[in-house]
Amino acid sequence: MKMNKKAQEEMVGFVVILVIVAVILLVLLSFLIKKPSGEGVENYEVENFIQATLQYTTNCEDYIGFLSLQDLIIACEGQEKCLDERDSCKVLNDTLTGVIEEAWDVGQQSAVKGYKFKIVVDDQEKTVLKEGNETLDYKGAFQDFARRGTDYVISLNIYY
Amino acid sequence: MVGKKGQLKIQQMIFMLLAVTFLFILVGLIFLSVRLSSLKKTASSLGEENAMLLVSKLANSPEFSCGNSFGGSRISCIDFDKLMILKDHVEDYGDFWGVAKIEIRIVYPNEGNVICSKSTYPDCSIIKLLDKNVNTLPANSNFVSLCRKDTNGKIIFDKCELARILVSSEDKG
Repeated sequence: MKMNKKAQEEMVGFVVILVIVAVILLVLLSFLIKKPSGEGVENYEVENFIQATLQYTTNCEDYIGFLSLQDLIIACEGQEKCLDERDSCKVLNDTLTGVIEEAWDVGQQSAVKGYKFKIVVDDQEKTVLKEGNETLDYKGAFQDFARRGTDYVISLNIYY
Repeated sequence: MVGKKGQLKIQQMIFMLLAVTFLFILVGLIFLSVRLSSLKKTASSLGEENAMLLVSKLANSPEFSCGNSFGGSRISCIDFDKLMILKDHVEDYGDFWGVAKIEIRIVYPNEGNVICSKSTYPDCSIIKLLDKNVNTLPANSNFVSLCRKDTNGKIIFDKCELARILVSSEDKG
């Protein structure tokens, strides 16, 4: 009985040492394996994408000149039309889809698995463009601005 | 007899402690050797980090930024005309940016892969600003707005396109 207990104690000691060594090895391994993420999507990329997209000059013209995408969002909210009678919201949707599809290579084989682009006006979702899978890993950013007493929030999530 | 048993136990303990200590030393040595051998890699990754930081701030530097040329101050906006002038004088900058390659590619609208020169401007999409012709690491990139003055015959207007600025550092590995 006494021998049995002793053997048990020895085994527990051995297991404790094995666990400690395993933990140390794991920590060291994680240090060795960890590499800076160069190929994934970075937050600053999404942030800059929104900023640059809002400055994009669309082919929708009003009496002053060609509208930027930011101005087109405002024109769409005001249900305005372009000089050539096209619906500003239709131009906005087409332009946004084109811009996002050219900028982000979405696909199962690609690093980007999906995206979700939203335009929220005074806390109401006005435009939602999405494609692919909404995974748990994503990078996102938003940009807000106010015009004519209305608040606009533009956000983009890139799922990878 | 009891004393001998105690001595054996102490010996056992000493052997165990020595074994564990040697194991830690061995693991430490392996770790150190890997760390030391990857010094070159670290130098490369530092260069890569520099490129990543540079890519974020380049668009807002005086040589590239739109300033107030396109109505108010714009963030992440590159002046296409400035870039074409800078392209001709890039040798004067030497190693100012500390990277091997700087390139700007128009993303939208997609108009093929025409390289920008005085003869192709503005109907082009790739501006090769700096190329040291060395082995480079994968490029770091960021989105920018590439703006220029344009005309449709009636009015002169600001035309901004979506572009990507790509910065690569030299591969020292």
